[in-house]
Amino acid sequence: MNSLATRFCGIDLAHPVLNGSGTLDALAAGTLGVSAFVTKTVTLNPRAGNPPQRIAETPQGMVNSIGLANPGLERFCDEHLPRLADLGVPLIVSVGGWSRDEYAVAVRRIGAHPAVAALELNVSCPNVDTGCISIGTDPAETRALLERCRAETDRPLLAKLSPSVADVSAVALAAAEGGAAGLVLINTVRGMAIDRDTLQPLLGGGGGGLSGPAVKPVALHAIFHCRAATGLPIAGVGGVACAQDCLEFASAGANVVALGTALFRNPGLVEEIVAELPGLLEQHGVSTFDDVVGRAHHHQGKALLEVDANHS
Amino acid sequence: MPPDRRLLQVARVEAVGAYTLLVLRNDGGDVGEPGQFFMLQADPEPSDAYLPRALSAAWADAGEIAFLLDVRGAGTAALAGAAQVSVLGPLGHGFELRGGPAILVGGGIGAAILPWLVRDLPGPVTTVLGFREQRHAVCAALIDADATVVLEPTYVTEPLARLLPADATVYACGPDPMLHAVAALCAEHAVPCLLAMEAAMACGFGACYGCAVEIDGEWKRLCVEGPVLDAGRVLAGGHDE
Repeated sequence: MNSLATRFCGIDLAHPVLNGSGTLDALAAGTLGVSAFVTKTVTLNPRAGNPPQRIAETPQGMVNSIGLANPGLERFCDEHLPRLADLGVPLIVSVGGWSRDEYAVAVRRIGAHPAVAALELNVSCPNVDTGCISIGTDPAETRALLERCRAETDRPLLAKLSPSVADVSAVALAAAEGGAAGLVLINTVRGMAIDRDTLQPLLGGGGGGLSGPAVKPVALHAIFHCRAATGLPIAGVGGVACAQDCLEFASAGANVVALGTALFRNPGLVEEIVAELPGLLEQHGVSTFDDVVGRAHHHQGKALLEVDANHS
Repeated sequence: MPPDRRLLQVARVEAVGAYTLLVLRNDGGDVGEPGQFFMLQADPEPSDAYLPRALSAAWADAGEIAFLLDVRGAGTAALAGAAQVSVLGPLGHGFELRGGPAILVGGGIGAAILPWLVRDLPGPVTTVLGFREQRHAVCAALIDADATVVLEPTYVTEPLARLLPADATVYACGPDPMLHAVAALCAEHAVPCLLAMEAAMACGFGACYGCAVEIDGEWKRLCVEGPVLDAGRVLAGGHDE
């Protein structure tokens, strides 16, 4: 029996390790072994991205200010999508925008492509001033966006949420009510780095998004509470760096995990984790990765137990 | 696909004035060409430097790969003290080694990649180097015994200007302002010029989009387009966002 095979929002996956949106260009670097490829966020119009310097190393992680650099919907559909369709793994396309209409146009066009398994609505990019994250900080806006996009495609919609809000589980619940099939938790956490010599901001955009092991506890907390609030399937992202992390994310409530920053320093990491996971599951006395999902909820009281029983 | 990461033993570490020479024992693996780069991380990985460091080799062959380091922070300090180093590469595009005379221009730690060019360029080589202080200039001996060396406040463009125009190709590596000045000078004299540029990088293989610099008037990934670029692609300018 394959202990790692799983099903996430209706997509059959050979194993539970994906890439986070914006952390891998499969057309340049290949899929690096991920079971489904998540694209960089596509917006209606092309975006050059934020001015350099775009990344800076920080304790146990990095801050980035890429700014949703992408070729725009037209070129993505004409040039990238046909090549991504040949990668041989399910395709999840991430979409961003500045209004419900912009998301809806992109979701309709991309969702009509036969190679697209699901769409991720990025309502959480910290590197743009307006749109996107301003939708994801407001439960009512998030719900309205999901409802609008739900009407545009029959593909599963995933909501990628930011932890930089007062109550991420309220936003998650709103996404669920609007028709989200699953959640992607978390996007980067707002952060900043100062040059130690000049004492000026290191990033060209001023602030940026913090990622890497530094944000792992933030991700686990968001996953745990959003699962308890919604029971939706979750792709866990944020500081995953080894096979043990994958089990911890699953236990908090993630059905699959996605790697980002850790791939930057080791492009062979997906294959290493996939090779290590079966033995690690055995050590924990479980036969499949799915068996671990939601385990941390078992001792947290009746309400959480009910959510877990209904959805794991 | 990026190449596999390899674990290489450190053969020796030497102080070269203000800089540090790190020589790795190569396992016979591909070293690419001068100007390409490697992502290096000390093994075991230091707890206070999460990302690997992008460095081009000073020289490399089947037996060894050498890097000249400017030890500035935790990552480079860990490399200088490591017994073994994780190496990903070669990555990116290096120098096209053209026939005929060559003028090599190096500024600061950018001079680190020139020894390999001096060794492999087929034609006669003239070298001009610029450094902040004498202790940085000690590495000139590794590059070219006949190099013209200037120290701040004199810039390397001064001796370069005296060499131009010339029937030669200019190969330059150094800080951005120097590279732009060298590119402008070469353009003025219609002398072909190749620049090895630098940017903060997280991955080195096109995944993170972090190393964007202005190329052909747009922000493009240096790890994919470069790090060695024809100077004309950098001078194009005109980015208005």
